[in-house]
Amino acid sequence: MSTIAQRARVYKSTVRPIWCPGCGHFAVLAAITRALAFLDLPREEVAVVSGIGCSSRLPAYLDSYGFHGLHGRALPLATGLKIARPDLNVLVTGGDGDGFSIGGNHFLHACRRNVDLTYIAMDNRVYGMTKGQASPTTAPDWSKSQLTPHGTGVRRFQPAAIALAAGATFVARGYSGDPKGITRMLVEAIRHPGFAFLHVLSPCVTFRPEQRAWKHEVHPFAAGTGADPVEAASQLQADDGLGLGIFYQQQLPVWPQREKPSGSLAELEREFPV
Amino acid sequence: MSSLLTGPIESVAEFLAHALEMEVESAERYRELADNMAVHNNPGVAELFRQLAVEGDAHAAHVERRGAGVALPDIAPWAFKWSSPDGPESLPLDELHYLMSRHQALELALHNEIRGRDFYAELARASKNAEVRALAAEMAEEEGRHVAMLRDWLASEAVPEPSTPDLDPPHSPE
Repeated sequence: MSTIAQRARVYKSTVRPIWCPGCGHFAVLAAITRALAFLDLPREEVAVVSGIGCSSRLPAYLDSYGFHGLHGRALPLATGLKIARPDLNVLVTGGDGDGFSIGGNHFLHACRRNVDLTYIAMDNRVYGMTKGQASPTTAPDWSKSQLTPHGTGVRRFQPAAIALAAGATFVARGYSGDPKGITRMLVEAIRHPGFAFLHVLSPCVTFRPEQRAWKHEVHPFAAGTGADPVEAASQLQADDGLGLGIFYQQQLPVWPQREKPSGSLAELEREFPV
Repeated sequence: MSSLLTGPIESVAEFLAHALEMEVESAERYRELADNMAVHNNPGVAELFRQLAVEGDAHAAHVERRGAGVALPDIAPWAFKWSSPDGPESLPLDELHYLMSRHQALELALHNEIRGRDFYAELARASKNAEVRALAAEMAEEEGRHVAMLRDWLASEAVPEPSTPDLDPPHSPE
């Protein structure tokens, strides 16, 4: 007799999260452990790779393989790992600054390569670890940081629309206040063969306390899941950035495509004598 | 009041799966929050959450004893039939603050315990299965005792001053 909550314990490490009480990342951590428990994935078949930032601390809180890498470089690290160890389920975790600014270029190319990864970007529209500066997803008129007292004046990066345009084959948005929803999306994302991008709105209660109001503002994505990128792009352009759901899912060849060895071991030994 | 249920529960095994998940998740949540409050130098609330986790473990053990020998259905994490984002007794993660007082924490705990009681009570009214109705009513009664215990506990806690100063505010260097 065991339940999801009991089985999810297995995936938690003994390291205590240092995130601020009330932080949305706790719900994402819980959703990951629940999704892994539901899928019954052995811990030794899971690797979680991250960059730098509050959300990038997540691998330490899981009892699976983990790699806390360089700022913005989680996706290339994970790509290398997945190519070397295709048997592993590779998850990538990080925030909006790590993923869309420092690692923005890697984000584009991970999407277009369609490597079999699950990328969970926890977006709180602020650099929290460095104490509250505007990030690529911050609204142009956000003026609470003394670095940008009149706002950045720069339009927001649109993670889901850009992932779609860059070639991601699974694009979804969840909200940390909807743990059932993000757990379900995570399960779908992990099962998806190819690059799965899960954009999670995850409030920073310390530097963006007004984000607590997201719970009243998020809404189901009106158009539902589609496999037509043009239609999905059109719907995403019309969305206010707070629509939740799986926007787009398509089965396309995963990179790298592996061909079975055509020769026998004896033939290979003859071709490459030692 | 809106319904705490998203659908009927019509078998004892399904009922026990829900009850066990609810109690285990609640205890687990208190334990995580206790750790988190300890990290953020709020030992009073950390200690309180740890006590509540121990209470939660006892509730979960009680449900496990009731369900001994019953094969529980494997329910997907998003398919549990409560309308709240987490289990009805789990303290919402987004309601916390590192400066919260024991009084505020107990108010939240009481709110959740009431929601847990009401969940069982609604189930006791809604199910077509007599055995489920009886079990749910028994659990609602049990939760009612916890509600009373928390009310007594809350009454004994000092109400904090309205504006507790932040002695360690978030640092904004620029």
